[in-house]
Amino acid sequence: MRCDDVRMRLLEGQRGGLEPPEDAELRSHVAGCPACAHEEQADRLLTEALEHRMPQYAASPALKRRLAAAWPAPVTPPPPWWRARLRAWAPLLAAAAVVIVAVPLLLSTPALRGGGPGMTPLVTEAVNDHLRVIGSEHPLDIASGGVHQVKPWFEGRLDFAPVVAFGGDEDFPLQGGAVAWFIDRKAATFVFKRRLHGISLFVFRADGLPWAARDTQRIGAVDVYPTTARGFNVLLWRQRDLGYALVSDVDAAELRDLAGRIIGNP
Amino acid sequence: MRAVGEAYHEAVMWEQAGRWALGREALAHADALHNLARYLTGNTVDAEDLVQETYARALRAADQFTPGTNLKAWLCRILRNAYLSLYRRRRHDPVVGGLDTVNPGVPTAAEASFLGDIELDRLRKVVSEEIERALLSLGDDARTVILLDLEGLTEVEVADVLGCPVGTVKSRLARARAALRRQLGDYGRG
Repeated sequence: MRCDDVRMRLLEGQRGGLEPPEDAELRSHVAGCPACAHEEQADRLLTEALEHRMPQYAASPALKRRLAAAWPAPVTPPPPWWRARLRAWAPLLAAAAVVIVAVPLLLSTPALRGGGPGMTPLVTEAVNDHLRVIGSEHPLDIASGGVHQVKPWFEGRLDFAPVVAFGGDEDFPLQGGAVAWFIDRKAATFVFKRRLHGISLFVFRADGLPWAARDTQRIGAVDVYPTTARGFNVLLWRQRDLGYALVSDVDAAELRDLAGRIIGNP
Repeated sequence: MRAVGEAYHEAVMWEQAGRWALGREALAHADALHNLARYLTGNTVDAEDLVQETYARALRAADQFTPGTNLKAWLCRILRNAYLSLYRRRRHDPVVGGLDTVNPGVPTAAEASFLGDIELDRLRKVVSEEIERALLSLGDDARTVILLDLEGLTEVEVADVLGCPVGTVKSRLARARAALRRQLGDYGRG
């Protein structure tokens, strides 16, 4: 390795970015070359100066407020044309609705709570939260060696105890956890991996949210609502007081497999 | 027709929700972008304008961002392009640190032993104001590649921001750092 080559690789070597044979060759050269040894030391001092003494100019709170205001929050778009026509027919439709609703009400109360469009806010939130997790540089508040390391970390950070029976395995290793918001409430976020794909599990209080009573699939002892949105597979279910949203771009069957392990009946 | 109307309505909602989520993530990088803008423009007023322009451009181009890629790198690229189009011509080009003209050279062993202790001592004692002054004395490209590297961008991401091949990032960074070291050493001799 010539001096020019060594100089070009010093920074990478300092950061441990070289392959072992190349790193050994670089170290060997530096040990025997006073000029390159000097360069290596000077480069380290420069890095130290830049990382610790270079002035940092953070954005002012006023600028951040302006930026936030300029990036609009989602607003409900104008209703499509058919909604205006529906209004004209509203009285008649209301009467029809009484009949339509009353019959299943008499037969089965849970059927009042529908799946489909009613689930849209949950699906939207689940996918958005998943995108935030996979797009974040630091998605995890606690890196994981297993669920017994992650679950205790949530104590004191949530107003509920997340119940997750599955702590990760070779197929779906648990990466870690974080606290996030799910719609209007705090959620425990668990991040699993499937090969190179990230899988987010959000656990939150289920009360007050629209849970599907139809279009569900049975996984273990739980009715799970499966859907897709923006290319992501989403599974939503409720177990006792807690709601669960599992989101990923992995195959739907693999996601169901993971849901089975989380629910506890694979 | 009802299904089409609903699908359209939902698509609009998805699109808005996606933009909003992207905006929330983008705001997390405001400090890093402002720091980069401050070192590119050399003053706070222009830096704030540049960051605002960056976010405005990012909002317009939000659908071009690929989820799963580095949002900070994407924003840095927008910021640099905005800087090139809006500010670069206003500034006087510095005379040091041009990446195509500066060759750090390889000091001989004798030169190294003569200069070595002086330079190392100087680097140990250099203060914040001198680092900033030295950075600002570099050319735009040299300054940018050092700042992007400090922000933790990979060589691939830096190459994307600078619009150069990945293979040249390493040599550009080495030259830029060598130029910065020389500047800091000059302050010591002065």
